[in-house]
Amino acid sequence: MRKYLLPLLFILFFILESLFVQTLPAEVFNSERILAPRFLMIVILFMTLYGHRDQGLIYGLVFGLLFDVVYTEIIGIYLFMFPLIAYIASKLMRILQSNIVVVSVISILSIVLLELGVYEMNYLINVTNMDFSLFLNQRLFPTIVLNVAFIIIFAYPLKRIFEKYAASLRED
Amino acid sequence: MPQFFLNKRLILLLVSIIILVALIGFSLREREELTVPEQFLKDATGWIQNVFSKPQSYVKGVFENIKDLQNTYSENKELKSRLDGLAKLESDVQQLKKENDELREILDKKDSLSAYSPIQATVIGRNPDRWHELLIINKGKVNGIEQNMAVVSSNGFIIGKVKSTQQFTSTIQLLTAMDPTNRISAEIQGTDSYFGTIEGYDVERELLELKRIPYDAKIQKEQTVVTSGLGGIFPKGLPIGKVVDTEPDEFGLNQTAYVKPGANFYDIQNVMVVKRDMMQPNLSDMVDDEEEEL
Repeated sequence: MRKYLLPLLFILFFILESLFVQTLPAEVFNSERILAPRFLMIVILFMTLYGHRDQGLIYGLVFGLLFDVVYTEIIGIYLFMFPLIAYIASKLMRILQSNIVVVSVISILSIVLLELGVYEMNYLINVTNMDFSLFLNQRLFPTIVLNVAFIIIFAYPLKRIFEKYAASLRED
Repeated sequence: MPQFFLNKRLILLLVSIIILVALIGFSLREREELTVPEQFLKDATGWIQNVFSKPQSYVKGVFENIKDLQNTYSENKELKSRLDGLAKLESDVQQLKKENDELREILDKKDSLSAYSPIQATVIGRNPDRWHELLIINKGKVNGIEQNMAVVSSNGFIIGKVKSTQQFTSTIQLLTAMDPTNRISAEIQGTDSYFGTIEGYDVERELLELKRIPYDAKIQKEQTVVTSGLGGIFPKGLPIGKVVDTEPDEFGLNQTAYVKPGANFYDIQNVMVVKRDMMQPNLSDMVDDEEEEL
């Protein structure tokens, strides 16, 4: 039973992103600002850093592909970005101590990296023609604020879940 | 030894970049249809999203009701003032409709560009990364939805077109998405109507760009823009929005009008997929005819 719980958690966050965008009317904030939830990225990062590193990367790969197929219809961008960023974060954690605050800061940095990477790629394939300063003000800063709020609420529960999972793996 | 590992990683990175470019190239092609595994994945997630969308719309409905209650009084006042004019308008419409039908009968013209049959659908998902502006709805090929059909919001304004269809779900591309193939033949209504194409969206000003209007066209603010039905897929007369501003284009040969869309692109719950009744003649037939004439 435990085995299936973790994929279910990932699927839940995968759906939650879309539900969040749908439910939140943009006028609540300001319709000029674009808030992009990156909950799935955060969960994948916590899995990689607290749970099992390789499994975290595989989850990144699978859900990156799913994200591409279902939400963007351009396969490759998230398939590449999710595992890459999770890998960079796991390398960074080797140097730093694994404290929940440090992990949270790393997650925020990762989201910035993800947003930048996705923006650059979309700019390259002409999905967007937004210029960089507009991107910073309209997208990046509001997105960071939203995801910081998410991390503050969910960091501790996620840490608990994945630490338990890591412990159960060690027992087996 | 460490040098060797470093190289292995480098090769892995390079190979994955090649795969990335290949995959992006593959999916950027003009695709008639998604591949079977993609369709299957989309339908499978669509099923889960369907389960979640009911409670979500309920929760949203409750909040909206509360918001509505707050401005009931002012709304009621305005609606009452409009009610007086409504009866006359209704009888006018009735009369015009009847007259139109009679005249059509005299001319023996049954098909109309503006005739369409709607398919109701509910939005079950939206692209969370906000770059592509895609929506997922809960009706698919089984319900008769086809690629490129027009999609209309619940208040009647056009919001986009069907990008791809699966068996049970379809994906809608909004007008706000930047896609050079996303063009709509539009008409500015007035004493003289002018034709142009909607070819893009100004993100900063949140206005649609209606391009290729003749340079001598006299366009006033607040004129209504509707689909012209000349594009071949969309029916005629679906409202798009109102003109806000015009400016000459870069060479001075045409004008560009900025159109404020009537639909709200953020808050979409129910949509209507519009199927045009009048069939488009086959392109190959038309080409053949022309050749005969020559």
